[in-house]
Amino acid sequence: MNDYRFSDIHVGLEESFVTTVDDTMMQKFLDISGDNNPLHVHADYAKEKGFADKVVYGLLTSSFYSTLVGVYLPGKYCLLQGLNIQFSKPVFCGDTLKIIGKVSYINEAYKQIEIKARILNQKDQKVSRATIKVGVMDE
Amino acid sequence: MTREEILNSVQEIFRDVFDEEDLIVEESSNSDTIEDWDSLNHINLVSAIEMEFGLRFALGELTSLKDVGDMIDLMLKKLAK
Repeated sequence: MNDYRFSDIHVGLEESFVTTVDDTMMQKFLDISGDNNPLHVHADYAKEKGFADKVVYGLLTSSFYSTLVGVYLPGKYCLLQGLNIQFSKPVFCGDTLKIIGKVSYINEAYKQIEIKARILNQKDQKVSRATIKVGVMDE
Repeated sequence: MTREEILNSVQEIFRDVFDEEDLIVEESSNSDTIEDWDSLNHINLVSAIEMEFGLRFALGELTSLKDVGDMIDLMLKKLAK
């Protein structure tokens, strides 16, 4: 886990990590959220609707934004304060995602940073982007 | 920029931050008169104003502000520099 302190952070600072979405994650998200929409649960239904397979929950992939800030940028001293997400493309089980965040703005008075983040799939296609506001605690 | 122009711009920022397109902001507006003006939205307001006007505020400058009019006074002072 990274442990950037506020004074370590500068505009342009970038961190990223890679993960692969699998059926276990989908089942856990279903258990937690109760979202049993067939688009996420039944491959046949999703295919009928024109998708290659059942669609991974948008908020499951977005949970990696939480990991991005809580583990990587800034990491240990993070306080997630806001998240604005846009979805661009569907994600499917087995997709390998790269989650990237870059500091775009620093509020010195309140020790808040803004991170422009995006998630790319294994084809380098952007599947979502986000603007994240994060407070950085003193140690 | 005139005081009125700043108030108009600040009102747009408030409407965006509070997601309330009909919100009317006056110089006397403060956290008691705008329902969702909590500490987190206060940070969001300051960040949005900094970005929109290219200003930077120090914590000490912000703690004594009582209402929007005080904020505009501070902005005018900084914009004049």
